[in-house]
Amino acid sequence: MFIRSAVGALCAGLIASSAVAAERIEFMFPAPVQGKLSREMQKLVKEFNSSQDGVEVVGVFTGSYDDTKVKSQAAAEAGKPPAVVLMSANFATELAMNDLIVPIKELAGDTDLDGLMQEFWPAVRPNAYFNGDVYSIPFQNSTPILYYNKEHFAEAGITKAPETWAEWVDAAKKLTKPEGERWGIMMPSNYDYNGWLVQALTMANGGQFYNTVYPGEIFYDHASTQGALKFWRDFAHQHKAMPTGVTNSKQVSTSFFSGKASMIVLSTGALTFVRENAKFDYDVAFMPRNIRNSVPIGGASLVSFKGTTDAQKKGAWEFISWLTSAEKIGHWSRFTGYFAPRQTAYDLPEMKKFTAEHPDALRAVEQLAYAGPWIATYNTVAVRKAVEDEMQALLSDPELTFREAAARAQKNADAVLAPYAEQTALTLK
Amino acid sequence: MNKPTRETPRSFRSARPYLLLLPAFLCLAAFTYWPMLQVLLASLSDKKRVGDSGTFVGAENYFRIFQDAHFLGALANNALYAAGTVIPSVLFGFLFALALRETTNLSSILRSVLFFPTLVPLVGAAAVFIFVFMPDIGLLDYYLAKLGVSATNWLGNPDLALVSLMALTTWKNAGYYMLFFLAGLQGVPQDAEEAAKIEGANWLQRLYFVIIPMLGPTFAFVMVIALISAVSQIDHVIVMTDGGPNNSTSLLLYYIYQQAHEFYDLGKATAATVVTLIALLTLSFLSMRTVERKVHYET
Amino acid sequence: MKPDLKQWAVPGQWLAPGALLAAAMCAVVFLWSTPFLWMLIASFRPDPGGGLGMASLFPDFVPTLQSYRYAIEDGYWPLWFLNSTILVIGTLVVQLVTISLAGYAFARINFPGKEAIFYIFLLQLMLAPPVLIVPNLTTLVHLGLYDSLIGVMAPYWGSAFGTFLMRQTFRTIPKDFEEAAIIDGASWWQVLRYVLIPLSLPGLTAFSIVSVVYHWNEFLWPLMVINDPDKMVLTVGLVSFAQGAEGASDWGLIAAGTLFIMAPLFIAFTAFQRQFVNSFMSSGVK
Repeated sequence: MFIRSAVGALCAGLIASSAVAAERIEFMFPAPVQGKLSREMQKLVKEFNSSQDGVEVVGVFTGSYDDTKVKSQAAAEAGKPPAVVLMSANFATELAMNDLIVPIKELAGDTDLDGLMQEFWPAVRPNAYFNGDVYSIPFQNSTPILYYNKEHFAEAGITKAPETWAEWVDAAKKLTKPEGERWGIMMPSNYDYNGWLVQALTMANGGQFYNTVYPGEIFYDHASTQGALKFWRDFAHQHKAMPTGVTNSKQVSTSFFSGKASMIVLSTGALTFVRENAKFDYDVAFMPRNIRNSVPIGGASLVSFKGTTDAQKKGAWEFISWLTSAEKIGHWSRFTGYFAPRQTAYDLPEMKKFTAEHPDALRAVEQLAYAGPWIATYNTVAVRKAVEDEMQALLSDPELTFREAAARAQKNADAVLAPYAEQTALTLK
Repeated sequence: MNKPTRETPRSFRSARPYLLLLPAFLCLAAFTYWPMLQVLLASLSDKKRVGDSGTFVGAENYFRIFQDAHFLGALANNALYAAGTVIPSVLFGFLFALALRETTNLSSILRSVLFFPTLVPLVGAAAVFIFVFMPDIGLLDYYLAKLGVSATNWLGNPDLALVSLMALTTWKNAGYYMLFFLAGLQGVPQDAEEAAKIEGANWLQRLYFVIIPMLGPTFAFVMVIALISAVSQIDHVIVMTDGGPNNSTSLLLYYIYQQAHEFYDLGKATAATVVTLIALLTLSFLSMRTVERKVHYET
Repeated sequence: MKPDLKQWAVPGQWLAPGALLAAAMCAVVFLWSTPFLWMLIASFRPDPGGGLGMASLFPDFVPTLQSYRYAIEDGYWPLWFLNSTILVIGTLVVQLVTISLAGYAFARINFPGKEAIFYIFLLQLMLAPPVLIVPNLTTLVHLGLYDSLIGVMAPYWGSAFGTFLMRQTFRTIPKDFEEAAIIDGASWWQVLRYVLIPLSLPGLTAFSIVSVVYHWNEFLWPLMVINDPDKMVLTVGLVSFAQGAEGASDWGLIAAGTLFIMAPLFIAFTAFQRQFVNSFMSSGVK
């Protein structure tokens, strides 16, 4: 087995280098949930390679979303830009601002991209555009959603999933058992997830979170975000329905499966995993609202780095078009649990059959009607981290007030945004 | 092999040391000095990314990092982390070696088991330890609960998270260092110990007056590798905490990683690298000087 | 196997302290090994995503091989192993040559600028920090070594730490040996090869362990350099199991994957442990 793989690898290397005809391009992708997704992705790549002769795609597994960004950027800066990268959907903006990725029109030639984007859900479109050009094609998307244990609900006498924040608090308190025996609600508060959920709560609280038109503005020290910070922190310190301190997403899913948490908020991207692992009756529901129903999208899109040859660009577009076709995107959605960003995927018979069998998958899609874009600003990660630091501090320290936290988050984020603002909105001549 | 000529030409003889150094030097030049030079230059410019054409700004980046609470926090965290991993892991390594000094069937097995954590890649160990440290359900809390200790949020409490990472590092490295102490102990002459015993020294006195002084160089050697690992390994930070909660586990290298690759601030990243390197070199230097002195004393 | 307890006993004293020490060490080692025991149990669990008794070290379920099946289906373990082994050996072999030569020059030859050059060497002590990633990748691209295992190895071929260690080791060897050899007509090369190196085995072994352990564990640098799936190394492969960006974590699969990496080393180390440790211990690292 050992030798066979080695020889196989050697042969593969020889064959690849001797086949001059096919244009070789690299496709970097992270594994969002587990090993089997990475294998499935390699299968898709193989299927594409054998479907035509012009392009040979090399699928490169690149770890987590963050590792993927670091690796692809480093490769581009070192002079080996990857032709296609599956990148966290909100990074396209800053990559475009830093002149690292190219607008898709450079790959797509005469294709009517605006027309193509019409086939995608309205919620995923804003993150794909920058300065009026399409910079990324959505591939796998998600929104935060509420998972709940129906058996616990019945036991606590709750008949339906909470729809408003008041009902949510009420349910969480009823479901909690003292001494940490059971938590009413758990939400991941590790970096990245944290900012996404603060944004979700802010949007449900009527807020914008960031300026979706101008990437140099963020609204942390505003009523909607302040309220979101307070609402989340109160679950832990006031209602005692959530553990204090930071809880990472793995703790959240494991606690849910072991019955230690009755309600959890996780990405719809975890849906298949929850379906396979929950040994009890569970269901999913919209994120509860205070002012309105609204959630940010998440997930990943395909981008192309600057500096590839024309032939590589052509090959990249061929691969991107194939991978984001309604058929493939639908297949990937059924396999992973992400929703398919291309609306037309849901018109295909396989998808209709699947959603009929798994109504929870449909719930994620229904929530899309209320979804908005994901935070994407100048220097997104640093801006997002400013509020995440404060949210983590709020969850750990019962003495810290939400007003102080919001003010500090705003101050730190403004400092990050200042250079951009100076060059743009504040340049008055 | 040719019969050597004893009279090598003088010119060749004087070039010989440089030729011997050349292979190592070429690698160092290509992958250490050249990039370090670039780092040094970048730390004096206002470049945001590697490709930028920045302008010279003097020591401004250095002022900026020393005013940055996150950098100062990472510096303090790293100092704490270094102390909290080097001391216990070296101490455990030493004690394990003392206890398992004699080679028997049992001690061979115990040594193997203690060495295994070293062989698990840090990324894998970190993934497993997310479960170990999980409040309530995880391995640690599950058994602590049987002793009546209530659930603890090991990685999610800013006061405990760094300590939890230290525990992981100690678990992973103690057996590794044990190996060096086992070797060092073998070098302690039996007669010195015997002599001390005859003079009526108990085991503690023998340890303090005979064994530990003899192991001086081993201690210094192990301290240096432990120190380098405390500064240069951050895989577990990336997998387990991302520097959180609220930056309480952000180490220097993680700070640098973040500034360079996520925040597009090459100036801060490179200035922080230079500062870290100077700190590490100074500490390693002091330890190595100790090695030098001890070795001279012996020969 | 007979428990060799008496070996722990200090001669001339009664047996109990030795037995006590043995018992105490067994307890400590048991604690140390609990994460492994847990992995072993968890890898056979039928509910790998989580359950109330998930942490229990006593199996309370019907074992299933499902996690192992997924691990085998999803990973190219033999290939990853081969690549990691090539990486570790390829790095070490070149390092041993460069550090022996450089260590010899610093230990035995006087030449102008020796002190200064020695300190310049030591600059490399901090290995490949993240800011060096882009400059080093650029160099690899120029040398045509990007996306090759050689490219992962090359930055480590000159080792300041190893050079320092070899210099120390050579200096502890009395000069009489070499002088005798030189009188017999040996060249510097023969002195190094047949006198100094054999007497420096403990130092070389110590360095080899440090190097192998470091490169076996390394993740970020191979991730940056390698693109071709046929050249992927173990740590990067393991991450495809261990990380879940959307908050899902299959503990059974993580445990099975980690054990897969451990198993061959476990067997090899247990089998050769005595010889290995004994030879390493034979004269001590100074």
